[in-house]
This record gives sequence, structure tokens and C-alpha cells, in this order.
Amino acid sequence: MRLFLPLVITFICGIVMILHFFIPHRPISTIGDGLTDWYMIVASAAIFLGAANLVQVHVHRINTKARNWKYSPVVLIGFIAMMATGLLWGVEETLPFDYMFQTMIVPMGATMFSLLAFFVASAAFRAFRASNWRATLLLASAFIVMLGRVPIGGMIWKQIPIISEWMMQVPNMAGQRAVMIGAALGVVATSLRMIFGIERSYLGGAD
Amino acid sequence: MKAFLPALLLVLMAATASGGGFVLTTEASDVPDDDGGRIGLVWTVSPDLPVPDSIVVERMAPGGEWEHVGSVAPIDGRYTDSELENGTVYSYRLVPWLQGVPGEPGPVVSASPAVKWLHSGRIGMLVITVVLCTIILLYIEAGKRGKDLFVRRIAGLNAVEDAVGRATEMGRPVMYIPGIMDMDDIQTIASMVILGRVARKAAEYGSSLLVPTCRSVVMSVSQEVVKEAYLQTGRPDAFRREDITYLTDDQFGYAAGVDGMMVRQRPAAIFLLGTFYAESLILAETGKSVGAIQIAGTAMVSQIPFFIAACDYTLIGEELYAASAYLSREPRLLGSLKGQDAAKLVIMILIVLGVLGATAGHWWEPAGRVAEFLRFLTHVE
Amino acid sequence: MNWEIIGIWLGAVLTLMLYSFLYRDNPFYKFAEHLFVGMSAGYWVIYNIFNVLKPNFWDELTGAGDGSPDYFMIIPGIFGMFMLARLVPKIAGLSRMALAMIVGTGAGLSLVSTLQTNCLSQIEGTIMPLSGVGTMGFIDNLIVVVGVVCGLVYFFFSKPHEGLTGKAAGVGITILMVAFGASFGYTVMARISLLIGQAQFLLFDWLPTMGIHL
Repeated sequence: MRLFLPLVITFICGIVMILHFFIPHRPISTIGDGLTDWYMIVASAAIFLGAANLVQVHVHRINTKARNWKYSPVVLIGFIAMMATGLLWGVEETLPFDYMFQTMIVPMGATMFSLLAFFVASAAFRAFRASNWRATLLLASAFIVMLGRVPIGGMIWKQIPIISEWMMQVPNMAGQRAVMIGAALGVVATSLRMIFGIERSYLGGAD
Repeated sequence: MKAFLPALLLVLMAATASGGGFVLTTEASDVPDDDGGRIGLVWTVSPDLPVPDSIVVERMAPGGEWEHVGSVAPIDGRYTDSELENGTVYSYRLVPWLQGVPGEPGPVVSASPAVKWLHSGRIGMLVITVVLCTIILLYIEAGKRGKDLFVRRIAGLNAVEDAVGRATEMGRPVMYIPGIMDMDDIQTIASMVILGRVARKAAEYGSSLLVPTCRSVVMSVSQEVVKEAYLQTGRPDAFRREDITYLTDDQFGYAAGVDGMMVRQRPAAIFLLGTFYAESLILAETGKSVGAIQIAGTAMVSQIPFFIAACDYTLIGEELYAASAYLSREPRLLGSLKGQDAAKLVIMILIVLGVLGATAGHWWEPAGRVAEFLRFLTHVE
Repeated sequence: MNWEIIGIWLGAVLTLMLYSFLYRDNPFYKFAEHLFVGMSAGYWVIYNIFNVLKPNFWDELTGAGDGSPDYFMIIPGIFGMFMLARLVPKIAGLSRMALAMIVGTGAGLSLVSTLQTNCLSQIEGTIMPLSGVGTMGFIDNLIVVVGVVCGLVYFFFSKPHEGLTGKAAGVGITILMVAFGASFGYTVMARISLLIGQAQFLLFDWLPTMGIHL
């Protein structure tokens, strides 16, 4: 019984969004447009839950002197600093909130992103120890495409960039299309199971 | 009826007209496939006459006078007038203005906004959607009858129990990473379903389960799902809410936090199931470096190669969505899997028929028309 | 106080702290990681308040945007409250309704949008002729069509990969491996360029603040 109302809401919202795609007439269009805005608002409201959890977890770690608890104040100070500056002075450019974002969060994000250069090299190095012929094919095609995208590839053999481009346009497209079509059918089946209440574990109830 | 046809002819003639001034031709028509109340104007201008400062769009008011509704640049263009009454005929003209003086108005055109019940550019998709959804739902119903359905072996899913068992033996936790998107993303929903199965295994084996999340709603759902799994296994006391935490909404902040957790807590088994973007390789490589057995699964085509390179098992695309049926062996879910296969068969037949039709169309026109029809069916606006 | 120089130093020091992870976990990385998590969490809370909740909900409800209050906004307001009810154990069950709304809307939207872009558009693009396109065109189109069809056969779950199905699935997974390899190779250069960007920041923005010019 406790799941009945949520399942009805899931069903109605799901069906309205599907109909909204095909029926431009009111009231479907109005309800569909409204629902698209509303669910974004509801999902955004949930961020306070996460923030509360973050604070709760780190305060608990400090209180219980858990492992690495000395870094929990760093989390809390960073969090409170951004919240305070944003709420007190606003988010416009040149204000403290924006300054901290530009000088600290942006470089840290870019640094984490740039770690990929090292990780992609280590992943490629490990993958070169190919265990079967298909794995060999994977790294052979990776190698050819990589070479084709740098000047040295053309200097080794002028056909490499052409072959590289062909591999991206033909077999790559074929493989990607097969994965996309299969995944799309998976999405359709999963969505139908959600909408019709066949899959309901996300509500925390019995299956 | 007698008066209707001439009136219709007049409206159609008035919908397009041409003139001799700066504004050469003007067309007015109902904006198609919307919820009504809008008329679109399209016009061309003379390349020979002096260019005015702007063109004013005028609409005839009920009293017969012309009223200004908008200004546009003095080039060929389009304009949409909205918040009109459906079924009412509106008349428009475009007037060029130069240095505050109106020039010769363009031709008067008329149209009437209408509302459509069905989007005309999506009829083919509607047919296919109904067919595919019907197939899948029928197979789900058939599955309820409990017929034993064969499902081929998926290595990554067979390894779930072994991975959790390994973690128990080594006395190290299991880590489950449900991707970085929110609960409105289908991959995340599929991941939550798999989390329930993995949590059940972890509860049975007595392994601790860490679930760092990137979204608050996903954290809430994960807590519910894992708690329910522990309850169903009869181990409610072993459930630890503090192991399921929210880190941050930031993509790379999350990656940094999870990396830190991996190197400090050293999980023996890591599941990366859901939507991932560039952080996928950061997480997978770090997991590899701590010696964990890794099972990944995503439908993000751009990230699959990285998971294949860095993880022990990878669920590719549709295999992620098949996981819940595969692990639970629940008849309806297995039926849904069979329905997906039947839908795939329909799509393969469409492709083969279309290709054969397009190929034979060079010599035999009806075959070409088959290919055209199939392209129409699959074309969506 | 030269805030620009301070900002460059903050960025550079935090960058180096995060890079130290490549060697091993250490107190510098732990500090930077925890700071990043805390600050970015705070940033996203503020972002959601000012960019989502205030303009799309509060301004609409109160009419601060265009002058006329939209009282229908009470509905998402109530569902938002339901979501936050999770903080109170006695009424935590109310959050299921908000969750149901999010999941239902997401499922409906995903079904049609995914079908449109990932399925039908791909099918439309695959319907291509094998004749009248030249020799290379024939080979290319044949590879695409065979690759797509055999790739779909690989994803068949209810038939064992034996006999003809097995052979087709074998062709399919081969094409998939070539595709994944190509995708991998394509992004490697983009990843390297990210490192170049950060290296340039350190070498040409940070070092000059210490009088070191390269």
C-alpha cells in the first residue's frame, strides 16, 4: 500500500512525458512542459539532502576520531566558505565566491582531468599485453587511429591518416551504431518496467 | 459549403503574395506541429532597391487599422507571431522604414493558426514506438507464465558473486560506484537495481559495502535499496548507513574523492555501473592500482573502451540493462529480455529490408519506394 | 594585495598537491582532495539555489520574474518538501513520492529521446544502397550494414552463440573491438592536450611570479 501512490505517480509522469512527445495539443503540451520544469526543481531541492549528509558524515568522523578525521575539517571549511561567500555576497564576477571558484575549483578540476593523460598511457601500456586476437585487434586499431592524428603518422606512411579517418568513419560507426541501438532497446525496456511498476526496487520496497 | 470553397481559395491565395516594393514576397502560414496560437511569416526582399533601416511587421487589428507587432532586419527572413486565437484569420503586411519614414508596404497575406493533435513529423516514430513497446510488454506478460527462458552467459555478471566472495575472504570492502548522473537517467536506475542484487550478496557474505554517490537523490535511493537488501537477507543489523555517502555534484571532485577512498580503504571488488564521462578512466585505473577486481558497465559508447582496457569485466551497452534480469532470474524480467531480443530482430529486419530496397531500387522502382518508406518511418523531426 | 598573484599561487599549489597522487597517496593529496570535495559541494549548492531554484521556482511562484505569480509552482514546492522529508525519519516515506515523480518523468523522457536519437536515427542512417556508389562505397556501406546487424546479433541474450548465430556474433564482436580501439585512439590526443594545458599554466603563469621565465 505504501508503494501504491508512488507507483501511480511514476506511471502518470511517465505516460505524460511519452504522450507529450507526440501530442502538441493542450493540455498534454502544458502538463508536459510543466512536468519538465517541475522535476528539475524537485531534483535540485534534493541537493540539500546531500549537503546535510556531507556535513553529518564529517562531523561524525571528527567526533569519533575516525581514520583520517583530521582532514574532515578541511571539507567543512571549504564547504562553509563557499556557502557563506555565495549567500552573503552573491555569485557575480570578481566577488569572493567567484574568485575562489576561478582560482581553486577550476584549477583542481583541470588537474584531475589532466590526470587522464597519465592514466590513458598506463591503460594503453597494460592493454598492449593482449590476451587474445580480438584484444590485439582493439589495440591495433587504437594505434593506427592515434598515429593518424599526429604529424608523425603521415611522415611514416602517407596512407596512415587516410586509413585512420576511414576507420573512424566506417567500422567505428558500425560498432557504435550497434551498441547505441542495443542500448536504446535496453532503455525502452527498463523505462517500461519502471513506468508500469514491474521494477520498483528504487522505491525501497519489495520487488 | 457553397461559401466555404471560395473563402478557402481566397485564404490560400492570400497566404502567399508578391509585390513591387522592397518586400518582394511574403508567405503566412500556421506554425505546424505546435499547440496552436502561432503564425509564421517568411519573406524575401529586393536586391536592387535601397536597403531600409528595418522592416516593421504589422497585423490588422479587429477595427481595421494596422498595428505594429515587431521589427526585423531588412533581409530575407522569418518571424513568428504568437498568442493568437486558433481558427481566427489574421492579416499581415511588412513595411520597410528608412530614416523614420515608412516605405511601400509589402503584400498583405493572411493565415489562421490551428492546433494539431499529432505531431506530423513523428508519426513513423509513434508507429515504431507502439510496435516495440507492445512486443516488450507482451513478452513480459508471457514471462509471468513462468516459462523457463534461456539467457546466454554474460561473463561480467557471472563474476559478481566471485567478486563479493573474494572481498569477504580478503577482509576488504566492496565498492559500488553508480555513475555520476541523477535518478532521472535510465542507466542510474538500472544501476540501482543491480546495487540491490550486489547488496544482497554482500549481506549474505558479510562484506561491507561502500557506495559513494555523486547526487543526493542517488544517495537516498542507494540507502533505501541497500537497507532493503540487508533486511531481505535477514541481516538488518549489518546495514551501515554511513557507508553510503554523498561526496559532491562536481564530476572531478567526485573522482578525486572516490580515488581517495579507493587508495585508503583498498576495496577488493569494485563495481562501476552507470553513466560515466571522462572520469571513468581515472576511477578504473585507480581501482586497478589497488588490486581490486573490477566489473564495469555503461551504455556510454565513448567510455566503454576505457573500461575494457582497465577493468576485468565490462558490460557493454545493453548488457547493463540486462543485468537485473540476469541476476534475479525473475520471470517477468527474463520475459522483458526476450522482448528486447524480439525488438532487435524487428530492427534488423527493417535494416535488411531497407538496404535491399535501396540497392534494388536502382533497377526496380517499387523496391526503392520500400526503402523510402522505411526511411520515412524512421525519420523524426 | 595582488589578488591575481595569490590566485595563481593557490591554483598552482593545489595543482601540484593533486599531481602528487601519481606517486602515491600522501597528506598533500589528502588535503587537496578534501578541500576540492568540500568546496565543490558548496559551489553546487549555491549554483542550484541561484541558477535553478530561485529563477525557476521562487521567482515564478512569487511573480518576481514577470510580475504575475504562478501558483501552480506550489506543486513542485510540495514535492521538493517531500524530498527533504527524508531528513526526518518519521515522515521519510513521503520522499518516495518525489522520487516517483523524478523517476517517472526521467523514464518517459528517456524512452522517447533515446529511441529517437540512439535508435531510429541510427536505423535511418544505416539504410543505404549497396549499388551505384562505386567500389569503395560498396565496401564501406557493406561493412557498416554487416557491422550493425552482426553487432546486434552479438547482443542477443536469448539465443546461445552457436552455429550461424555464433558466427554472426563473432563478426559483430570483432567489429565492436575495432570500433572501441578506434574510439580509444581518437581520444588519447585530447587527453594529452589537457596535460599540456596544465603544464602551460604552471610553466608560463606560475613560474614567472617567482621571476623564472622559460
